[in-house]
Amino acid sequence: MSVAPAEHAPVDAAIVMQGITKRFPGVVALDEVSLEVRRGELLAVCGENGAGKSTLMRILSGVHRPDAGRLEIHGRPARFTGPRDAERAGVAIIHQELNLVEDLSVAANVFLGRERRTRLGLIDDAAMESETGRLLEMLECRVSPRAAAGSLRVGDQQLVEIAKALSLDASILVMDEPTSALTEAESARLERTIRRLRERGTTILYISHKMDEVFRLADRITVLRDGRHVCTVERSATTPSGITGLMVGREIAGHSFHEPRSRGPRLLAVRRLTLPWPEHPRGYRLSDVSLDLHAGEIVGVAGLMGAGRTELLETIFGVSPSNWTGEILLGDRSVRFDHPSQARAAGIALVTEDRKRLGLFPDLDVAGNVSLCSLDRASRSGFLSRAREEDLVAGPIRDTGVKTPGPHAAITGLSGGNQQKCIIGRWLLTEPRILLLDDPTRGIDVGAKAELYVLIDRLCRRGMGVLLTSSELPELLTLSDRILVLAEGRLTAEFVRGEATEHEILEAATG
Amino acid sequence: MAASAPPPAGGFLLRRSEWALLAAIVVAVAITALVDANHSYWFQPLASLRDIARSTAMLGMFALGAAVVIIAGGIDLSAGSMIALSTTACASTMLALAPTEMVGFKPVGGAVVAAGCLASLLAGFLVGTLHAWLITAVRLPPFIATLATLVGLRSLARALATSTTAALLPTKNSQINVYDPMFKFVRDNVWIPVAVFGLLAFVTWLLLTRTVLGRHVHALGGNEQAARLAGIRTDNVKWFAYCYAAMTAALAGLFYVANESVAAPANQARGHELNAIAAAVVGGCSLSGGIGTVPGTVLGTVFLRVVIDAVSKVIKTESEIYEGLIVGVVVVLAVTFSQVGPMARGGRRLLPGALGLCAIPTLALLAGGVVAMTAAPRAGLAAGLLALVLLAALKVWEDRQAAAARTA
Repeated sequence: MSVAPAEHAPVDAAIVMQGITKRFPGVVALDEVSLEVRRGELLAVCGENGAGKSTLMRILSGVHRPDAGRLEIHGRPARFTGPRDAERAGVAIIHQELNLVEDLSVAANVFLGRERRTRLGLIDDAAMESETGRLLEMLECRVSPRAAAGSLRVGDQQLVEIAKALSLDASILVMDEPTSALTEAESARLERTIRRLRERGTTILYISHKMDEVFRLADRITVLRDGRHVCTVERSATTPSGITGLMVGREIAGHSFHEPRSRGPRLLAVRRLTLPWPEHPRGYRLSDVSLDLHAGEIVGVAGLMGAGRTELLETIFGVSPSNWTGEILLGDRSVRFDHPSQARAAGIALVTEDRKRLGLFPDLDVAGNVSLCSLDRASRSGFLSRAREEDLVAGPIRDTGVKTPGPHAAITGLSGGNQQKCIIGRWLLTEPRILLLDDPTRGIDVGAKAELYVLIDRLCRRGMGVLLTSSELPELLTLSDRILVLAEGRLTAEFVRGEATEHEILEAATG
Repeated sequence: MAASAPPPAGGFLLRRSEWALLAAIVVAVAITALVDANHSYWFQPLASLRDIARSTAMLGMFALGAAVVIIAGGIDLSAGSMIALSTTACASTMLALAPTEMVGFKPVGGAVVAAGCLASLLAGFLVGTLHAWLITAVRLPPFIATLATLVGLRSLARALATSTTAALLPTKNSQINVYDPMFKFVRDNVWIPVAVFGLLAFVTWLLLTRTVLGRHVHALGGNEQAARLAGIRTDNVKWFAYCYAAMTAALAGLFYVANESVAAPANQARGHELNAIAAAVVGGCSLSGGIGTVPGTVLGTVFLRVVIDAVSKVIKTESEIYEGLIVGVVVVLAVTFSQVGPMARGGRRLLPGALGLCAIPTLALLAGGVVAMTAAPRAGLAAGLLALVLLAALKVWEDRQAAAARTA
């Protein structure tokens, strides 16, 4: 009878989750997840994108309500109907996407919704500013409480969020991949802050997939995979590669990406590309970037948030205002696109980073989403033919392996992976020679991710040139023939397949 | 039926919400037929039908234009003023080309009428272009751009009427009378505006569901950034949408001239832009863009006009006072009912907390007051008390539900 102690009634648990299930249309985000966070410990939750980490967090913060299961905070059952409820229970969340009102001051952000008042009932800026100053000092954050939150660097903004949590006297702090946008110095400062918070007895739930951090900070580690709780182990009882193995859980079988692809002629060349950014102290979004892309080649672009990956692809595609300098060569022809339609006509496709915001048309059905860029092929003198449209989209839907009840199903009913395949299918119909993929597997579950890798590899073998950005280094290492690294708008390194390691790339990316 | 219709809203021929609207129209007509003391629906069915058909056709024309802009993710507040400009442009052109006939109540001839109509439509195209320019090049929000023209175009139309009459007639005038027999013919034959409306509805339906441009309108309204990134020339699609709205309003303006035998820019069609937006919204167009159909908009227009007509039949004296109130109530009810399903599922409450508490007497007062003024004071008191009791019961029920959910 070996029952783990965690299964017994928790004596000193800060958070208890039992059988938490959350479904979204087309996907089970959390499947009967049970876990327990002891008071005062730092529990790291690891898992790939799409493993359910963020959903777990949104349930803790009251943004989502679970479809089934129980949540207890400090021994009391909790049913949060909004973030306010969670705050009241002593749970503070540092989201990956920061929740600051950019035009308000740091102090106003820290006390948003709980503003201090003077005896007359007027807002007491002085009290809030001095209190905020005290908190920031403790966090080694050297910014003025009066500065506008939007003018701060991402690392400082994150500390402002932590200051907010501290001002709430939160006993439980949930941090969602807090270092994903930080430089190394900032990460180190954050780690010191975390240690100081733990000395005060704060319980921390730390969501991350960076093994080095997790192993420096955590007492115990929980692994989630495909919405399921895989295991929770003491840090001392495991190794980084053990955890990574549990996170991935399966090999991408039956397909070798390392079979050399034959490299064709040069399709695209970027020469000394500089994109100014007048309102920013740095002055540029991209500076002096040069690269080549050949047919049958996948070039990966690595970089932290804000390094300029998206801007690079958007500039090539003619999205950004055309105030850039340098040269973009398509074959041997120098081009400068003012509008994506010109880039599309020239044989370039861009699959955007933020699928919901920049790619999907929720009011159009699957066929409408796929055919959108090639409607001239489904119409005669401007009039659409339903039959022709169905014929047209059948090809890419089969080719990319979209699982849909039919061409006229609602796109919003599909899982993230299938939605992304629809968008790739949309662009395949335009018969591009150059495919720009901006973080194409973000928010997609592991299985669909593997299918997308196979698809991208296949397209490349057909002679397409692929320029790929990703926030996940293993993805770049798996797919790319070459990897370029951007740091704060500059190219800092270039690696050929086999030469690069995650560590080296990260070093170049943090510049 | 719509090629881009998301299936959940689907149904046979019409969507489910549109069938519901059709049923609501039938119910409204039946109730009016029973309640109306003169029973005009029984005794003068043709005359009643003519009234409703004319008013529906005239509102429907620019409601279709409003729907296209709304589906494209924009808004056009200027339709009423555009109609005033259209009537004035038409009459001014005719006055300029045939001043003696216009003053002498004589026929001006087909060519002059055609010139007047063309001038109106041209004015519509120019205003639509101005809107598109303000919105895409100057980057004004559509609400601001068309709010400016809502105010500005009526003023412009009045200035135009005054200066044209001052230049061409012995005395200047703020309005221009139009007595041409062609306009009279249109006024006396209701089938003409109805046929034009029907044709326009068919063309708009074809455009929105069966053409590439229509698909681009839906895409633009559904996700503007994604549409641009997909290589759609979104600025051109907007240009089309605002021109379509302004030109349908200009077309409707011609029927205003025919119907009222005058171009009177000071007050013609004042406030009618909101009726058109209301008709589109009642018909299922979403103000956040991307969603809406032509059958829905047509039914929304019919419903609005039927209810307004019903009230005029029931109240009889000075019923036009209540027109705005009716439009407001219809819009609120139609949009609320379309949200009942998601609301119940999402656990949202109609009367939450202190706001709900204060909303109860507000709504009861509104209901009681309207009934008291239109029927009898005693009936108003009864209606107000009834509303108070019902809403209070709803509030108590909701609070219990919420409390149960919290402890469960």
